[in-house]
Amino acid sequence: MNTFRLLILPALLLLMACKKEGSPTPAPDPVPSNFTLKLEHHVDGALLDYDTLRYINEAGHAFSITRLEYYISGIRLLTADSSDDDPVIPGPFYINGMASNSFDLGAVPLGEYTGATLLLGLPDTLNVTGGLPNTLENVNMAWPVGMGGGYHFMKFEGHFLNSGLPTGYAMHLGRNENLPQCVLQQPFTVGSSGGTVILHFNLNEVFRTPHTYDLSSGSYSMGSMTLMALLSDNCADAFTIACTP
Amino acid sequence: MSRGLRRLVGPVLLLVLGPSCQRNTAEEADPCATQTSPHNIVLPFYFPAPPVFSDPLTLEGMALGRRLYYDTLLSRNGPLQGLACATCHDQARSFTVPNGTVNVLPHVNLAWNSSFLWNGKVSGNLQDIMRFEVSDFFQVDVNVLRSHPEYPELFRKALGTCWITREDVARALAQWFRRLTSTHSKFDRYLRYEEMLTAQEVSGMSIFLSETGDCFHCHAVPLMTDNRFHNIGLQSTFTGFDVGRYAVTGNPIEMGAFKTPTLRNIALTAPYMHDGRFATLEEVVDFYSSGVQHSPSLDPIMTKPGTGLTIGLTPQQKADLVAFLHTLTDTAFVNDPELRNPF
Ligand code: HEC
Ligand code: HEC
Repeated sequence: MNTFRLLILPALLLLMACKKEGSPTPAPDPVPSNFTLKLEHHVDGALLDYDTLRYINEAGHAFSITRLEYYISGIRLLTADSSDDDPVIPGPFYINGMASNSFDLGAVPLGEYTGATLLLGLPDTLNVTGGLPNTLENVNMAWPVGMGGGYHFMKFEGHFLNSGLPTGYAMHLGRNENLPQCVLQQPFTVGSSGGTVILHFNLNEVFRTPHTYDLSSGSYSMGSMTLMALLSDNCADAFTIACTP
Repeated sequence: MSRGLRRLVGPVLLLVLGPSCQRNTAEEADPCATQTSPHNIVLPFYFPAPPVFSDPLTLEGMALGRRLYYDTLLSRNGPLQGLACATCHDQARSFTVPNGTVNVLPHVNLAWNSSFLWNGKVSGNLQDIMRFEVSDFFQVDVNVLRSHPEYPELFRKALGTCWITREDVARALAQWFRRLTSTHSKFDRYLRYEEMLTAQEVSGMSIFLSETGDCFHCHAVPLMTDNRFHNIGLQSTFTGFDVGRYAVTGNPIEMGAFKTPTLRNIALTAPYMHDGRFATLEEVVDFYSSGVQHSPSLDPIMTKPGTGLTIGLTPQQKADLVAFLHTLTDTAFVNDPELRNPF
């Protein structure tokens, strides 16, 4: 249940860290540093655009992206002596790649982090029908009860050139067995002045490492545990993290 | 509720119009104040919460909106002279009527919508689409309402307005549309564990809600629409109204894409699709089974694993799917006396 731990202690630490030395007012600053979580989407460095077949994946297919929706949850900030006490931002956050995605995180424990981990999707406790509030986004992400219930972790759709013919692909990911556990290996610092925690999602990683995903032999993943397992493995290294003041 | 214009114009007008509104008794009494009773729509547990609107929902607001909806006065002196909203939006058919080239969209659960009309030309909330209907489509002549024996008082009570504007007409209609909520189909009762579906309906439901038919991705439960735009492959080249959403965004990936219509009461709203090309649900299901046509903007969901563009349903599966679509009929809604013509 670590994932759902509240951040009270770290928040207190942050409050202390924010107190300015020699401040004329003795009362502690009641407002902790404010952090924003921001999601950014790109394809090998190019900012995500929803139009032409402009991207090339590992298997050599030109592709476009027409839809990107997913959840992230359980963002764990790793300390050097990685322990159970590492702070966790539980989420879940619903992300629509077509919108700008900023979330108010409030206080984030200050410190030097060696990296982070996160779930691309929902923890099993929430991945049940009715597990999330009935917002429009969530009901559209529902995974039908007859197929196991819960929610889509990700809907990633577009077209690819299949022997010259633009062909649809729909990489839908769901079911607890296929929950990607992403590892983000960039060290970063969370400083006292607040700032933005940025998660970059490189969509092309979905199609490579460890598996070269060939859309022409599997353009529709939902209902196929085999294809979803490939996608899940590939997503493990799809995110990077940074923190800017 | 106070509005600058109303405060300025209202009292002047009232002085001119007659003694019934004398305000010399209570100094602070606002002659234009609303007199309303709040109304709350109870939703099933699996429904999303409706969005928050600037006007609270009131019995008076809904009643006024209803009256306007059924009143041909609304079109007087405008391009649709002689028509009421209800002329083209008939309750018995889930507020549609069979129409020529552009199919009439039903008025069901539109409070949750954020894009309106087949190509999503109007975005925003109910009030935004009502502003469009009132100002652009009907071009309502508000003087007709201002000089009416009853409307000024109805507007005052419902909306606290002493000088009716098109915006007020849109506000009243928006309240009425919030009342047009359908939650009592057989499928709803099934979701609430109140009633069983037949074996055939269950079979149709599993086709609808699984990869076999793959309908749920766009006709999402419980609104039976995702309120987004898709090119489902009715044709492979596009001209005129058929370009769909492309006419609004100019984005080639939206060529031929239309708003997903709700499937609530679908058995009552023939013909089908934006141009009414299919006369029956059987024809619609045949289309999804084997009639989908390729184009570069075809929605990715329409490309099925292994089988290309067909889902290849058997005659039995097709019949089952149609049987399920019939469970989406909400007879309580289409027979609700509170939604009928009040005149
Ligand atoms: C002459 C027939 C006609 C009349 C009269 C009429 N409508 Fe419609 N209505 C239509 C048609 C046709 C459509 C679909 C048009 C489109 O999408 O381009 C439509 C669509 C709508 C929609 C959009 C629904 C959706 O799902 O996006 C709303 C809302 C609406 N009408 C409200 C009204 C109101 C309010 C009035 C009265 C002020 C009215 N209509 C009068 C024919 C009519
Ligand atoms: C990719 C999204 C998508 C999928 C999947 C889908 N639909 Fe649709 N459906 C739409 C859209 C968009 C329209 C309107 C298209 C138009 O008029 O051009 C529509 C129209 C319809 C209509 C006619 C509605 C009306 O008011 O005229 C019916 C009935 C229907 N769909 C049933 C189904 C069934 C049954 C399935 C599964 C076999 C299904 N749909 C799968 C998006 C979808």
